[in-house]
Amino acid sequence: MAEGPIPVTVLTGFLGAGKTTLLNRILTEQHGLKLAVIENEFGEVGVDNQLVISSDEELFEMNNGCICCSVRGDLIRILGRLLKRKDKLDGILIETTGLANPAPVAQTFFTDDEMRSAFRLDAIITVVDAKHVSTHLDQGDESVKQIGFADRIVLNKTDLVSADELSALEARIKSINAVAKVFKTNNCAIPIADVLNVGGFNLSRATELDPAFLEPEYPFEWAGAYALPQGVHELVIGHVDHDHEHHDCGHDHHHDHERNENELDLVVIPTASLSETDISAARDIALKTFSDWERKVSEGESLELGATLNRLELKDGNGRFKLEIKNPGFYLVFEQCSEVPLHIKVCSENVRPAWQQDYHPAHTHNEAVTSIGIHQAGELDGKKLNAWISDLLKNKGNDIYRMKGVISVKGSTKRLVFQGVHMLFDAKFDREWGTDPRMNTLVFIGKNLDRASLNASFNACLT
Amino acid sequence: MNLTKVWAVQCDDYIIDLDWSPDGQLLAAGSASGPIEVFHAADGTKRLSAAGHEQGTNTLRFSPDSHCLVTGGQDGKIKYWDPLAGQDITTVDIGKDWVEHLEFKPNSTLLAASCGKKLSLLKSDGSVSKALPDAPKTISSLAWDPQGGCLAVAYFGGITLWDSDDWIVQKELPYNNGINTLVWSPNSRWLVSGNADPSVHLWIPSEDAELHMSGYEGKVKHLSFDITSRWLATSGGRDACLWDCSGDGPEGREPNMLPHDAPVCALAFQKSHGILATGAEDGTLELWSPERKNPLRATVKMPAAATKIAWSPNDTFLAIGSTQGIVYVLKCEA
Repeated sequence: MAEGPIPVTVLTGFLGAGKTTLLNRILTEQHGLKLAVIENEFGEVGVDNQLVISSDEELFEMNNGCICCSVRGDLIRILGRLLKRKDKLDGILIETTGLANPAPVAQTFFTDDEMRSAFRLDAIITVVDAKHVSTHLDQGDESVKQIGFADRIVLNKTDLVSADELSALEARIKSINAVAKVFKTNNCAIPIADVLNVGGFNLSRATELDPAFLEPEYPFEWAGAYALPQGVHELVIGHVDHDHEHHDCGHDHHHDHERNENELDLVVIPTASLSETDISAARDIALKTFSDWERKVSEGESLELGATLNRLELKDGNGRFKLEIKNPGFYLVFEQCSEVPLHIKVCSENVRPAWQQDYHPAHTHNEAVTSIGIHQAGELDGKKLNAWISDLLKNKGNDIYRMKGVISVKGSTKRLVFQGVHMLFDAKFDREWGTDPRMNTLVFIGKNLDRASLNASFNACLT
Repeated sequence: MNLTKVWAVQCDDYIIDLDWSPDGQLLAAGSASGPIEVFHAADGTKRLSAAGHEQGTNTLRFSPDSHCLVTGGQDGKIKYWDPLAGQDITTVDIGKDWVEHLEFKPNSTLLAASCGKKLSLLKSDGSVSKALPDAPKTISSLAWDPQGGCLAVAYFGGITLWDSDDWIVQKELPYNNGINTLVWSPNSRWLVSGNADPSVHLWIPSEDAELHMSGYEGKVKHLSFDITSRWLATSGGRDACLWDCSGDGPEGREPNMLPHDAPVCALAFQKSHGILATGAEDGTLELWSPERKNPLRATVKMPAAATKIAWSPNDTFLAIGSTQGIVYVLKCEA
């Protein structure tokens, strides 16, 4: 007999994606677990020793049809009844119809006190048909929602698409839901341990997230450090000869943002050394400087060093400018766009950067549903946090499909772990921070999310 | 007040329902897993023992003449049993959904049965005499008014009152939440719902009046009126909450709180006397006389929580079903 709340796994996915295959796989594998399956159709699966209950998806709309306030009445009834059985279950699987919105299923486990105490929503698993999902994503809302709500995505039928199509598809899925783990399969061949009892619904281990997703976003895409002697040197933008190397960042850029190709923003900051501390101090200055008023610099003029945003005026993407160096040493150049060739010449010779780095550019998404992550050290003021979250749920609850995170609250030695579905929100202190760094990790998945405003509101809660 | 054990029997599983035959001779018990048993009231000897319903039994009722027992289950079937012969008479396949509620019309053999959203009226031979249009959502409770002239049908979103002569809708009583249970006051004045929001809502259908009593800790799943129609006992927290429904009703009145140490999970007033029995999740069973200054009359501690409490027709015996599948019959003496 299992102790504590019974884990519930929700299976979503469009018709034909392979939900039933996955369900059969879970039910027939020798895992020794006593499971109950609640499915929406009759007779799809029937396996000895496992309990299969079919049900229509009955919605209870609490508040004038508001989807955020809908729960699944059939689940309350069936799960309530399962609790009365003498053999306690090790888990419950709920299969939804292809067109079902996963929100009411998840909300059932938030709003109903009995469901909340007896069951634990373990994960929402969305099975995706690699061959057809793009069409579904282009056509409609429901498949986007199913991906947006997922904790785990089983990208199935991968044998039916080319490697290129598959990686494009994966990127598209990631741009909708950056948090869910994606498994590529044929015939839903996935270890049961990856779908059952995975603890996907709460973000207790922030490290499970893709680190790139949590990197802060910068208004610049590249920085390089140059060791420069005293004197007046030349900074060349563009003028690329073909044999000529440029700082190569080794990955493709998809530039959807609208940049005037005859303007380029640069910040040049002196740094005492190339130590991490000095570089990150300079980077923070650059970060602030990039939102300052720009200083226009015409062809042949000198750039201003330090905390000044230089907007270089180019002609056909090319330009030559001056760098007047009074004190020899390292200078960090932060460039708005990493695709634009940039060279510094000392006595007509190119200087190679002593250090360089690409920065995560501000995302540009084509999808209406996206993920936004915040990953930052520091402590939050509990009251401000509360006010922010209640305001957010009130005003944006309809658009936020899922949110989850781990927060460091001032005055508490324990981690505050939270999760939410639409307007419903659940937070509790879990374990001690101990020796772990007190990092705040928050993830929002939803429609029309405003990154800048989420970041600003979060920063306002920092003490 | 004295409570003594008369007999106890271990059944298969969680006792999902209990019912005394109206002549007081038999007690029927259904296990959540399916088995159905009928005991001789006096000593607990078995008169019927059957596998019941595949996937589980939900409810059971004796016919008003005590000659027949009907049961409903998760297999979408209604079974008619002869309790004395110990065998089944007929099985009616009523639908694909669960048969959750069965209620005989007072002093009649007409049976109201719900299966999902479907409501059917069955004759004593199991034939369907009337099938009503589907309710908007799954039917969550059925209650005949004590005269049998009206059947109240609850679902998420409201209650429909059907006239039992011509089966036309008398009234629709909207309620924008889940309704767990319904009860009529013995004088037919009040119709009360115990709700998921959590609250109790009271209607006076004859006057188109309604009252709302909220402030409960959890869902209100159990309601019982005393024979005078004055006291309404409700679950929904660690106290059994007793409302005074005399006159204009409980609005503006403080309820009597009858305290338990754990959430109340079963309650029942005597059929023609004034004692209320309440059971809590810690296994405590208490008897109360609401009109006394010190209302608590007796306390018993059971090994498991009560799932159902039923007074015998003459109010002398108290049958209790437990989460562990045990049926107890206690004698209650002043």
